[in-house]
Amino acid sequence: MAEQILVVDDEPNMLRLLRTILMDKTGYEVMTTNNPLEVSKLLQEKSFDVVVTDLKMPLVDGMDLIDIIKKVDDKLPIIIITAYGTLETAEEAVQKGAYDFITKPFRKETILITIRRALEWQRMQKELAELKKQ
Amino acid sequence: MVFRFLRRFLKEEVDEQTRLRLKFDHFRHLLENNTLALETMADMEEKLSGDYLFDRAYLQTQVERLGGSISHIVTELNLLTENRYPELRAISQQLQEEILRELTANPDIPATAYVLPLSALTAETALSVGAKMANLGEMGNRLHLQVPEGFAITAAAYQRFLKASGLDEELAKHLAQAPIDDLESLEAISREIQTLVRTAPLPPDLEEALLAAGKPFLGRPLAVRSSAVGEDTDFSFAGQFATLLNVDAAQLPAHYREIVASKFTSRAIFYWKYQQFSASELPMAVGCLAMVPARASGVMFSLDPHETGSHTILISAVWGLGKYAVDGAITPDLYRVSRAPDLEVTEQRVAAKPVALVCRPEGGTAEVALDPEQARSPCLNPEQIQDLAAIGLKLEKHFGHPQDIEWALDDSGRIFLLQSRPLRVTVPSFAAEERESTWEPVPPLLRYGVRAVGGAAAGRVFQFHRDEDVASIPPGAVVVVRQPAAKLVLVMDRIAAILTEVGSPTDHMSILAREFRVPTLVDVGGATKVLHPGQIVTVDADAARVYPGVIPELLQGRTPSDLDIQRVPVFQKLRRILKKATPLSLLDPESPEFQAGRCRTLHDITRFAHEKAMDAMFALDVDQALEPRSCSRLQTDLPLNLFILDLGGGLRVKGQTWVKEEDILSRPFRALLRGFHHPRVTWAGQVAPDLKGFISVFANTMYDMGKSEKGLGGKSFAVITENYLNFNSRLGYHFAILDAYISEEKNDNYISYQFKGGAAGVERRERRARLLGDILDYLGFKVQVTGDMVQGRMVKYSLLETEQTLELAGLLSAFARQLDLALSSDAVVDRCFQAFKEEDYNLSFLRPQESVT
Repeated sequence: MAEQILVVDDEPNMLRLLRTILMDKTGYEVMTTNNPLEVSKLLQEKSFDVVVTDLKMPLVDGMDLIDIIKKVDDKLPIIIITAYGTLETAEEAVQKGAYDFITKPFRKETILITIRRALEWQRMQKELAELKKQ
Repeated sequence: MVFRFLRRFLKEEVDEQTRLRLKFDHFRHLLENNTLALETMADMEEKLSGDYLFDRAYLQTQVERLGGSISHIVTELNLLTENRYPELRAISQQLQEEILRELTANPDIPATAYVLPLSALTAETALSVGAKMANLGEMGNRLHLQVPEGFAITAAAYQRFLKASGLDEELAKHLAQAPIDDLESLEAISREIQTLVRTAPLPPDLEEALLAAGKPFLGRPLAVRSSAVGEDTDFSFAGQFATLLNVDAAQLPAHYREIVASKFTSRAIFYWKYQQFSASELPMAVGCLAMVPARASGVMFSLDPHETGSHTILISAVWGLGKYAVDGAITPDLYRVSRAPDLEVTEQRVAAKPVALVCRPEGGTAEVALDPEQARSPCLNPEQIQDLAAIGLKLEKHFGHPQDIEWALDDSGRIFLLQSRPLRVTVPSFAAEERESTWEPVPPLLRYGVRAVGGAAAGRVFQFHRDEDVASIPPGAVVVVRQPAAKLVLVMDRIAAILTEVGSPTDHMSILAREFRVPTLVDVGGATKVLHPGQIVTVDADAARVYPGVIPELLQGRTPSDLDIQRVPVFQKLRRILKKATPLSLLDPESPEFQAGRCRTLHDITRFAHEKAMDAMFALDVDQALEPRSCSRLQTDLPLNLFILDLGGGLRVKGQTWVKEEDILSRPFRALLRGFHHPRVTWAGQVAPDLKGFISVFANTMYDMGKSEKGLGGKSFAVITENYLNFNSRLGYHFAILDAYISEEKNDNYISYQFKGGAAGVERRERRARLLGDILDYLGFKVQVTGDMVQGRMVKYSLLETEQTLELAGLLSAFARQLDLALSSDAVVDRCFQAFKEEDYNLSFLRPQESVT
């Protein structure tokens, strides 16, 4: 089954581009929203493998969004997209439980590789959990 | 007394050194900022490749960084040159303001009256009344073309309306929530906003102004249309905002609100958010024009947007009001006119136009059926077509860009211009191979139509009947529709192709489709009957064919990629910013055009400032400014009487009277000295092949002896830092200045070199100048030879290359010393040049006896 990716960004340009890039010959299924307030609802309705989110958004800060996502699914890898020059916050986000961050502007390949790694990490986490159960 | 004198003397000396040090500091800061500016521009240009994702915040950061560097460059240059280029400040400021305007697309609204008559409008008033009305004013007032009477309700009025009614905050709140992906909620939000605008009262002063302006038009039909500021500039808002035809001036306040409300239709909001305008941008001005009782109307493109190479003007025409030509409601007549001076009508496609839109006596418009004879007859006669074409070319010439023009013809045959805006000329990035017309991959389902947007695409047919269905159009659909629907803009970023049964390439929908690069065929009669919903088809818009199924060989290389970052607004913003930043028009420092006042871009400023800063350093006049006492002296076996002033990091030791060559840390200076020490250079003596040359040198030597301290060389000075060298030398009777900077940063590196004088007669000195010019050119310098003076400059080579060239420049100075007597003829000049190229630096061919030994 195709991997499900949720992309959250308040800028429609970025949202459109990310959706197109992530769907271009990858087989991923991508859902986008420019409203971080509805992320929690979306996560409850549907199962995702990765969340890609902007760090700086007007309605909900990316940092708070990490908490919101972790509350629903604490194993879900979150990739933070951060602007130029907010590296410290991005590092803080990773400490808070985000899987990784990438800095804008970035190459198309960078986001694809990061997502691939996140999915791999997610798969290994699941396998580990299974093994522990046994 | 003596002590006081000495103190004063020493003080001047110290001041001179401080002055040099300060100059060098300005120079260094200028270089640093120059590098930073060039790096920033390069970084931004790299983002144009389409491989990167970036947002507005990135642009903001880079624009600020670039602006900062450029301002520093201008300041440092003026500090370095005693304020020789004050005009650069204003130019830099203006360019930066223009760039900021591009970035924010949020121009300040000029404080004007709420209403301005058309007779007061010109292109410069675009920020107050929108480009549409400003251009109309320009056509009427400057070009004296026929335009309707009228006036504009300004952006200042819009601002007043929004503020006074509290709408601005309300709108911002709604717009922030408008989701771009969800068409249904977009519709709901749009309805709410529009109701708010329609019901908000106008402030009394504005209402009064509108009624007063409308008074002269009472009882005469009026057209009220949007003229948004920002509309018709780089973005085409074709058909996005409303036009009210044949309305009563007494109701102007209501009409005004209606037009303002049209800014917030779902399709306008979509388009507007898609193009990344924020809530506070794009103020809405409104144009009010006397209705032209139009017998025929239409659209003209001063250049066929598809065949830009064909030099054709495209005119479409319908009977009655132009709305039907603009909306594409019926298929209009289509005329192609040659842009050559004879304006020959090359094609005339007269359509059957069964209906026309006309003004109703009680207001508004109505569609009337035309008698068959009129329906089939052309709307324009050849003379009118040519008159229109001539106007099209005139407008194109005046506005400096192909134009998209709306026109109307009244009953007496007068042509009125209703609008002129830049035509979006698209050149498809995918190569549309011309196909043999006889070749068909499979029998086509449809084989006619007019290409509105080129390219090919395949997908499932979706029959679009009602505007409300737009949300249910699936991605990748081939949309088939009876008449052009601008509403389709809502899905143009996701559909494969559009086919319409009527319409023309000049209608609004086609313009929008071109912007989104959706392959589009219009005037494909019967498309809705032949094609069935869900059927998979391939549309070849270039060949005007529709085939069943997917035809891969047609699609190959001709489907615009979905992943077209370059079409995204923020990308276009970057492109527009770079247009003001990176092109270089000041190319040749020797040209009379190379002036501060001619800087057109930020790159020009950096280029100019860098060049002039190097000139300023070159002209430091070091040997006049410095006294040997304050400098260290070089202990060397070279025939040099050399004094060194270290401005920082150039010497291993400080405050020593004598320094050794190994104490020198300055990279460019070390390179130069290595050249002086080249094993194949002969320093002792000159070569003299004939007696005449010898006498000439002897005479000049006698003359120059008094000026020089020692026979072989006067005082030479080197002002150095770790990376910098300014070398003023007397080698023999030559005077040479060399100014160089070497660092890891390629952009900063340069060598300026000047060589003049000498002991020989004018003729030989000039020959030598020519020879040195040839050699410098050979070494990669840009060279200028004037009389016996040679000047050369090389810039932006790598550290290693610049260092090697400096070595060669050192070598060349020694090489040149020997030439005073030798250059007895032009042939010897050639031989010497050859000798240099062959690394025969001691000119052994002129020293037969030495080469034997």
